[in-house]
Amino acid sequence: MSSTAPGILRRLWSSIEFKLILAWLAVVVATTLLDPGHTYWHNPGDSAELIIRNTVLLGFFALGSAVIIISGGIDLSSGSVIAMSATVFGSLLIVLDPEGFRDGHLATSAVIMAIVGTLLSGVMVGTLHAWLITCVGLPPFIATLATLVGLRSFSRGLTQAVTNNRSQIDFPDLALRDTLKNVTNVSIVFIILALAVWFLMSRTVIGRHLHAMGGNEQAAKLSGIQTDRLKWLAYVLGAVVASMVGIVYFADNGSAKPDILARGYELNAIAAAVIGGCSLQGGVGTILGTVLGCLFLRTVIDSVNKIVGTGADVYEGMIVGIVVVMAVTFSQRGVTSLRRPFFGTLIGWAAIPVLSLLAGLSYMLFFRDKPWFDPWHAVVFGVIVAGILFVRGLVELKHK
Amino acid sequence: MQPIISIRNIGKQFGAVRALDNVSFDVTPGELHAVMGENGAGKSTLMKILSGVIGDFEGKLLLRNQPVQFSSTRSAENAGISIIHQELNLVEQLSVAANIFLGRESRSWLGILNQKEMDDRAAALLAELETNISPRALVSTLRVGDQQLVEIAKALSLQSDILIMDEPTSALTESEVARLYRVIDKLRTRGVTILYISHKMDEVFQLADRITVLRDGQFVQTVNRTDTTPRAIAHLMVGRDIEPRQKHTAERDAAVVLETKNLSLAWPGHSRGWRLQNVNLKLHRGEILGIAGLMGAGRTELLECIFGASDLPPQGEILIEGKSSRFGHPAQAMQAGIAMVTEDRKRLGLFAHMTVRENITVCSLDDVSSAGVISHSRETAAAMSQITSMSVRTDGPEAMITTLSGGNQQKCIIGRCMLTNPKVLLLDDPTRGVDIGAKAELYLLMERLAADGMAIIVTSSELPELLTVSDRILVLSEGVLTGEFSRSEATEQRIMEAATKSQL
Repeated sequence: MSSTAPGILRRLWSSIEFKLILAWLAVVVATTLLDPGHTYWHNPGDSAELIIRNTVLLGFFALGSAVIIISGGIDLSSGSVIAMSATVFGSLLIVLDPEGFRDGHLATSAVIMAIVGTLLSGVMVGTLHAWLITCVGLPPFIATLATLVGLRSFSRGLTQAVTNNRSQIDFPDLALRDTLKNVTNVSIVFIILALAVWFLMSRTVIGRHLHAMGGNEQAAKLSGIQTDRLKWLAYVLGAVVASMVGIVYFADNGSAKPDILARGYELNAIAAAVIGGCSLQGGVGTILGTVLGCLFLRTVIDSVNKIVGTGADVYEGMIVGIVVVMAVTFSQRGVTSLRRPFFGTLIGWAAIPVLSLLAGLSYMLFFRDKPWFDPWHAVVFGVIVAGILFVRGLVELKHK
Repeated sequence: MQPIISIRNIGKQFGAVRALDNVSFDVTPGELHAVMGENGAGKSTLMKILSGVIGDFEGKLLLRNQPVQFSSTRSAENAGISIIHQELNLVEQLSVAANIFLGRESRSWLGILNQKEMDDRAAALLAELETNISPRALVSTLRVGDQQLVEIAKALSLQSDILIMDEPTSALTESEVARLYRVIDKLRTRGVTILYISHKMDEVFQLADRITVLRDGQFVQTVNRTDTTPRAIAHLMVGRDIEPRQKHTAERDAAVVLETKNLSLAWPGHSRGWRLQNVNLKLHRGEILGIAGLMGAGRTELLECIFGASDLPPQGEILIEGKSSRFGHPAQAMQAGIAMVTEDRKRLGLFAHMTVRENITVCSLDDVSSAGVISHSRETAAAMSQITSMSVRTDGPEAMITTLSGGNQQKCIIGRCMLTNPKVLLLDDPTRGVDIGAKAELYLLMERLAADGMAIIVTSSELPELLTVSDRILVLSEGVLTGEFSRSEATEQRIMEAATKSQL
């Protein structure tokens, strides 16, 4: 046994899940200290609720994205599928129970039928993707790019059709809304779903075949694996979880505005899966890693919110971008990736002013409302960053 | 004579693996120096050091008595060393001339590409190599043998006086090999020194002046070709004698397991119109049937048709134990008791990111699972059973498949097939890229399976191999069966005659 214990430890240590937990703890501690209001310390309950809610909402469709990425595909459409399913849910409610929709008390049967219908629309979108990819022969990127654009437009049309040319559907039933947006309910559904997907991917024949197909599709087919049916399964799963989350977003926002609802969220889901260790080449990735990737991503976003203060959701995209770059750089080769030469080349030198300018401008944007802010701080900050990177470049040149 | 290259105590460590250890030998100018050794012996690593792919190594490399350490292939090329890799390094979407001058394009005024000059120079180089490949042709439209000539032309354009060839004949037809030999002769009259890596004994003994053998990263011996025999070299390579095999004889009149009647496969858009034309064959229980043919003769296509893996559905009939069968997907063929080991292991066989266990069980997971849930213990037991019966050398079922040598990977894939309990085993060039020791093991394995009643169809790019293992050999030429030889009738000469019979 003595020989296996270090082996397990080493595997744990080298696993991306473990690294993500460590990184997450570091972010939490740093935020607790740096946040001027020390919110995590004074009000842990609300802070946790907020992060969990955001993590779970992202987690739902990130699970779908992860399954598709592991199976060797990509789904760019989940944001639009969310918008579509919110619209479809609202439209079904209007059609099935028009009176209840008007006076704010929907019949339970209508709600159940609308939910079933919405999930069914997810199955249909997944089937459409699978057909475009396996029968028409489009690359997944193109097939889901088409639905990314197309389904949002379709949802806008549908909204106008059922609302007398308005551009949004308001959520009709307050009691139902509270049930659907309740963090505990949503979290329980998410945990059950995540466990089910984890079990599917790591313990079943289908999961193994999905991994195999993602790693080497030709070999999988020649091994007698029905790759086309597996793709159908992956894309249907991806679209169904996105339509589940569409219903929740509808309740959470209080209205479905298909032109802006969940726009660009597909990229957050892909980012979370990649942070969690999924390889866009396919074949590699875990469900636990993806969930932790969501948690890490949402916590970093929340952390910047806390530290910078109001209006920080504007910077969400910047944060996601930076986290993806850093996470993938580190997860590829761990700390050794820091040893590779970043700046010693022509392109490297050209990147230094770009990065310094970005750093200085970001500093200004983040802190411009603070009472102690002075534009010179931003300039000094940018110059300091430039100096550090320049020194690093010189060191790299010397080692070459 | 002063050596042109002196390798002095060169070593290279990859993580825990000692790829090269204290290797020293000299290469004299103008000689053809063959480097032989099993897979993993360190040949490729050494060649990568010589050609600048690996810049970081222990020991000393002297080029014309000057110590050198190349940081890139470009710096090696500037010093006059070019390498022709086993997997060719061409940009398929570009033209022949563009590839030859890639990175060294001739420019005219304002840096605009001088296409004309490059085309002319490329044409001159190609003419020297006795080929009429058009400099404007896209590389993707060329046959592998022609692509290789483009690589050689590129090396010539670099004025290289040292050329490293890494298994240059592994994908060539007989006539292309003959042409390559002529090109090599020509290069040698120009005084080019050639380092020649190969597994193929007959080739090395035809071409080489001297032979250096490496084993497990260490230098074994350099011998003059005239002072040695293939048997002695094989002994040096594996460090032991390879046992002569005893050949079992297939039962006469055994039951027919597989039969094809007028099997044809169309080839739309090709002047010939078919990949396979009216192929009739019978495969008996316990028989090893060899399929010979040049590259492009339809060997792989024939196996793919039988396995339900062809792009287009074939015409004609396939009978399994007398029952007419039609497979639209490999899954159906496997259901019917057919298993196939594909030609291109890396591209069509291996799951590189998976473990040995996962690679072995991927086709038969249903047998080790209940209600779609895999039982880990049953799966491991199934994998272990194949690791043992195929004698796969691995750290265990949880090792990554990529840590195994080519031969052991191939054994895992055959083990994968065996777990599906096939009646018919299709082996498409199963010893490609497998070292000589493992080859002998694979032959014995086929023997044993056939003795247990398995019906086997095997193809090979090496005729001597087919002659060794097969009970009967069928010959394909341009998609048509042109010969059938029993074990006693078959000779290389007769097979080659049948294989080069033209249909047009």
